[in-house]
This record gives sequence, C-alpha cells and structure tokens, in this order.
Amino acid sequence: MNLNATLLGQMIAFGLFVWFCWKFVWPPLLAAMDERAEKIEQGLKDSEESANKILDAEEQSKKMLAEAKKEAKKIMDNAKNQSEKIVDESKNKATEEKERIVGSAQSEIEKEVVNAKKTLEKDFASSVMSAVKKIVAKEVSESSHQNTVDKSLDDFRK
Amino acid sequence: MASESSGRTFQEYLEHHLQNLVYGPLPAGHERKFYSKGEDEATKETYCQDKGLSYDGESYCKETLTEDGWHLANNKTDIEAMGFWAFHIDTLFFSVLLGSIFLFIFSRAAQNFSIDKPTKLQLFVEMMIDFINGVVKGTFKAAQNTLIAPMALTIFFWVLLMNVMDLVPVDLIPYPAEALGIPYLKVVPTTDLNLTAALALSVFILYLFYSVKAKGFVGFIKSISLHPFGPWMLPANLFIEIIDLIAKPLSLALRLYGNLYAGEMIFLLIAGMVSINLTSFTGLGLNLAGITLSLVWAIFHILIVVLQAFIFMMLTVVYMNMAHEKFEQH
Repeated sequence: MNLNATLLGQMIAFGLFVWFCWKFVWPPLLAAMDERAEKIEQGLKDSEESANKILDAEEQSKKMLAEAKKEAKKIMDNAKNQSEKIVDESKNKATEEKERIVGSAQSEIEKEVVNAKKTLEKDFASSVMSAVKKIVAKEVSESSHQNTVDKSLDDFRK
Repeated sequence: MASESSGRTFQEYLEHHLQNLVYGPLPAGHERKFYSKGEDEATKETYCQDKGLSYDGESYCKETLTEDGWHLANNKTDIEAMGFWAFHIDTLFFSVLLGSIFLFIFSRAAQNFSIDKPTKLQLFVEMMIDFINGVVKGTFKAAQNTLIAPMALTIFFWVLLMNVMDLVPVDLIPYPAEALGIPYLKVVPTTDLNLTAALALSVFILYLFYSVKAKGFVGFIKSISLHPFGPWMLPANLFIEIIDLIAKPLSLALRLYGNLYAGEMIFLLIAGMVSINLTSFTGLGLNLAGITLSLVWAIFHILIVVLQAFIFMMLTVVYMNMAHEKFEQH
C-alpha cells in the first residue's frame, strides 16, 4: 500500500466534485427549500387569517339573525294590533249596519201593517156591504138576518 | 470458491484482493512476468511461446521490455518499478463513478424541484440537505462561508457511497473482471490510502487557507507559536502546535482508511472460510459458519460505513470552524 500519483488524481476529483456541488447543486436546492418554507409560512398565516374571518362572519351573522328576529317580532306585533283594530272596527260597523237594517225593516213592517189595516178596513166594509146587500136581497127576517149576519161575521173571521 | 478455482493459496487470494489495479510507467529493460496457464510444465511453456514470450520454469512467462512505456502492473515487482507516477485505476474509476452518481442524483433533484408536488427522490434529497445544513449550522459558527455546507454534503455522500461498496460481496466484481483479463481490482475506493489521504490533504489545504485568511499570515504564525504556553516557551509551542496541525489530516486519512481496510479484510477472511471445499463434514460446517459470519459482519458494517462517512464530514466541518476562528491571545 504505497502512496502514488492516485493521490493527486483524487485531490483533483475531490476538488471538482466539491466545486460542482457548491456551484450547481447546493444553491438551487437550498433556495427552493427556502421558498417552500416561506410558502408554507405564508399559507399558515393565510389560513389563520381566514379562520379569523370566518369567526367574524359567524358573529356578524348571529347579530344579524337576532336583529331580524326582533324585527320580525315587531312586525308580527304590529300586524296583530292592526288586525285587532280592523276586527273591532268591522264589528262596530256590522252592528251599526244591523241596527240600521233592522230599523228600516221595522219601519217598513209598520208601514205594511198600516197599509194592511187600511186594505182590511176597505175589504171589511165591502164585505159587510155585500153581506148587507145579500141580506137585503133575501128577505128581511130577524132570525134569518141574524143568521146571515153571523155567517158573514164567521166568513170574515175566517 | 475464488481462491481454489483460480489456483491460488489463501494467502495469495488475500494479497490479490488487497492489491489495486495499478497503471504506471515501466522502464526499458524491466522484466515482466505473466501467470501461465496449463496442466503441466510443457503446456505452460507452449502457452508462453504462443504469446512470443519465454518461460521461466515456475509457471510464469517472462517478457523483457524493450522501451519505456505505460503498463498495467501484473505483480509487486511491476508496481515497485513504477514508483510514484502510477495510478490506481480501480480507485479512480470507482470513486469518480460514485461521485458522479451522487452529483447526478442531487443535480437531478435540483433541476426537477417542485415546491408543491415533491417526488420521493426530492424528499430524500431535501432530507439530506436539511440534515447536513443542521449539522453545519450547529458546528460551523465562526464565520459565513457558503463552501462549507456543500463540501460537507459532498464528503458525506461520496464517502458513504464508496464505503457502501464494501458491502458488495468481495468476489462479485473482481472475479468476473479477472476473467475479462483485469489482473487486480479493488472495488472499495476508501480502502485505498491514496483516496483517504487525498480527501484529508484537500481538507488540510483548505484548513491552512482559511486559517491564514481569517487570522492573517502573522496571526496564523502566532497561533502556532505563542500557544499554549506563551512567548517564553516558543519552541515547545511550535512543537506541540505543529504536531497538532499534522495530526489533523493524518487522523482523518488513517481513520477512514483503517476502518474500511479492516472491514474489507474481515470480509476477505470470512470469504476464505467459504472457499474451503464442501465434501468434508468440517468443510460444510466452515461454509455455514462463513455464510452466517459474513451476514453478521455485513449488518454490523452498515453501521461503520455510515458512521465513518459521518465522522469524516463532521471533523471536516469542525476543522473548518477552527480555521475560521480569529486568533486570541490567552
């Protein structure tokens, strides 16, 4: 095992390998790895940010929901009041109308009654007259008269 | 069964496996020897003569080189004759191959990097980058230097891949290679002192460079001469600090080399048990024991393989940190 010129050859080879690695292998790999590390860091930061944003949005939406519920309740209350008012009003109107209708019906009825009475009176007089005529036309006897009068009265009653 | 089928004794088998494939210059007049093939002396001699070589009477063909030239070493005498300017082809080939695999995987991941849809390969690469970055940031605090982390990554992965070659069965690659005419092959580059020393020396040069850069030349000299006993003990300081300085690359190189070489050696010894013939009862027992042992050692070795790669990287980062520290008078 003796040292010889192989030593020099190996030193040259070693120098070339180290130089190549130094110039062409190490820097691009390290740069790329640094870039990746930066990217990962940025990604983590971004995801944290977006998580925060989501939390914010959730809170916002909760707030909005509560507000909307309040609003809805208010609207419903209003509507209830309104409807009660409308119902009351219509009740009142209906009662008034009813009273008016009933009143007018009553006066009509009264009018009709008066008319009927008038007609009746007229009819009655004419029936009495016709009965009298019949009686007069037959002979005038007290009994028979009486009978005829009774009969006429019966007819009338009917 | 490698040692028997290639006609070697166990010692030869070990030596063969621990020898690198060497390519280097041989001078004219150098006598080369080739292992001859054949049943008896006569066929061996004709085998050599067919190749135009003479036969030495001891199973080897001889060839005397007529001019200087570069050759693959066939044996120890070749290697000795080559001297310093020889190259371990196998170490160079496998280390460059594994380093290229590492860079290919990582640069592919860098090219196809997707921030949103990472592939499994990308996730693995990211994990490794993160791991190395964590280690470097935790240890290297003296200054800003963009070189340290990529260097640590390169060292860790390159050394790891080379160490992992130790888990490849010892004969799996050398045996077919030998059949193809490659005389030696060591597939684990980190079991070659040349490689570990090259890494350690490179780290040491960077250590010296950054030391001088951070402290100034005077500051650097001060840091090794006025430490740890003060200016009146300057020779002792120099002695201690220089030993301390030299110990850094030495320990780096020898730790990795020693661990992996020893691991490889144990694999080879276990492989030697398996290569005893199966016909006898004890042979069968040895085979079973060898198979079990190599499994156990391989599992344990996974730990060593990763650990040594990590230690080499870690110490490099520590040394770089020390280099960048300003000199302070204590």
